[in-house]
Amino acid sequence: MCLQRMENSPAEPRSWVERSILPVLSAGLLLASVAPARAAGAGQHIEKQFNVSGRPVVVIHNVANGRIEVKSWKNKEVDVIGTQTSNKIGFEIEQVGDRVDVTANILDAAAQPLDLESNLQLTVPEETELQLKSETGLIYVEQVTGDMKLESYGGDVHLKEVSGYIIVKTTSGSLVCTQCAGKLDFSSIGGDAQILQPQLNNVNLMTTTGNILFDGDFVRTGLYSMRSGKGLVEVRFSGSDSFDLKAQTATGTVDNQAAAFLKPDSRGVKHIASKFTHGLFGTVGMGLAKVELSSYSGTIRIMKRD
Amino acid sequence: MQCKDIELVLEQEGLEPLPEEARAHLAECRDCRNYVADLTSLVDAARKLPSEITPPDRVWISLRAQLVEEGIIKIPAEAPQAESAPFWESISEFFRSRALVTAMVAILIVAATVFQARRDRTAPVAPSVQSAQAGLPPPVQKAAIPEPSEGFDRAARALDDQEPMATGMILASTSPVDISLRDNLKKVNEFIADCEHHLKEQPQDELTREYLSAAYEQKAELLSAMIERGRSVN
Repeated sequence: MCLQRMENSPAEPRSWVERSILPVLSAGLLLASVAPARAAGAGQHIEKQFNVSGRPVVVIHNVANGRIEVKSWKNKEVDVIGTQTSNKIGFEIEQVGDRVDVTANILDAAAQPLDLESNLQLTVPEETELQLKSETGLIYVEQVTGDMKLESYGGDVHLKEVSGYIIVKTTSGSLVCTQCAGKLDFSSIGGDAQILQPQLNNVNLMTTTGNILFDGDFVRTGLYSMRSGKGLVEVRFSGSDSFDLKAQTATGTVDNQAAAFLKPDSRGVKHIASKFTHGLFGTVGMGLAKVELSSYSGTIRIMKRD
Repeated sequence: MQCKDIELVLEQEGLEPLPEEARAHLAECRDCRNYVADLTSLVDAARKLPSEITPPDRVWISLRAQLVEEGIIKIPAEAPQAESAPFWESISEFFRSRALVTAMVAILIVAATVFQARRDRTAPVAPSVQSAQAGLPPPVQKAAIPEPSEGFDRAARALDDQEPMATGMILASTSPVDISLRDNLKKVNEFIADCEHHLKEQPQDELTREYLSAAYEQKAELLSAMIERGRSVN
């Protein structure tokens, strides 16, 4: 575009302002007014708002170090605030219909880790779908309803009062899910999972070396599977819960601290553990939900909350 | 010559040699000089990219064997030797892109592992007529339970083949993510070794097999992530 404009009057003498400033200003205005938006600069702060209709989809990819925080409000707008420690990171923010894409890119591959910190803070409508990817920073989501896929290598994922189909995948980052509802899939190699006061009706947790803690109620007709290769799998249920329990470990131990509440299957089905595993089967209440716990060499602990 | 002509010349003829007229325009026009300089640095950077990595032949051979075994491809009774190159060469030719090769290998490894693990778990065990008549539980039929698995062995070999390349691609990196990937690969390898050792002693332990299968999947994903990250910085 710049080349074409200069071609209009190549032979005419132009002032320095015309030749140098105007193209830059034009380009700046263009970048500021239309998506995608770009910004880069030392210690920079960028803020953008996007109007949306219906249920938006927000996609964030933060390849720099730093946290991603998503909270909700009543407005039909997605507000994005990005901060960065150096000009070696650039933000690209783009809106396409109801989808908002935010990417933090590393502009200088040789930059030091301290220069590669960028934090993203978003405020979205309560009903929003999320796809977030981070490298090492925390992903924090609060009071958002909608399906979400959250991926991180080393960063932790903290969720509070979120609901929907929640998929969390980390390499070594841990998950803390407080008052979550809906369906949860978590998989990790070294990360822990803590599920606190949930209203989840479908839970699938898998970690190779991390620990799992489920502290809360089992929803009737819910399905719960929790597996850890080497870590501790601990379940704390309440006296009003109703579930069938199957706990198995290949070389670990089953620590049943709720023997008084676990009865043999009330429907007369006799479960027998494989001769290669240590198993525990039982029913609490009517056995309406189904709970499967397993480990390879870790401990499985079952206890009732006070 | 004007600026838009420069753009046209570059599109049609490339960077060098530029015609005399174009060079004359560049001498006077700073914007066009910057434009050409940007293009030149892009081309230089592209030339510095490493050449594509060809996976070892045994990867193609093992892929081929797997595809034949699963009935996805069939070996013709009489192969027209004069016309066709070996099968794996044609695949190799097709998947020239390293990214595609990486993705395909990882996906096939995982698919093969999961497929094998599922097949092993669901292998039917026919109850003996005698015990069914007597109302006794059917005895365990050793022959019907597969050995701890050629599928696992194949997956393990394929992953081991990929591991040096994948770890080599991020070997020098001090980024926290790459360090974490290496640490986690070590953890997964230890876990795999533990499960494999246990399965040698208890080959019919289904639970351990499930954990081993999941660990192979995780290892494949880790190696893919390493290759992908290594590619993005090279």
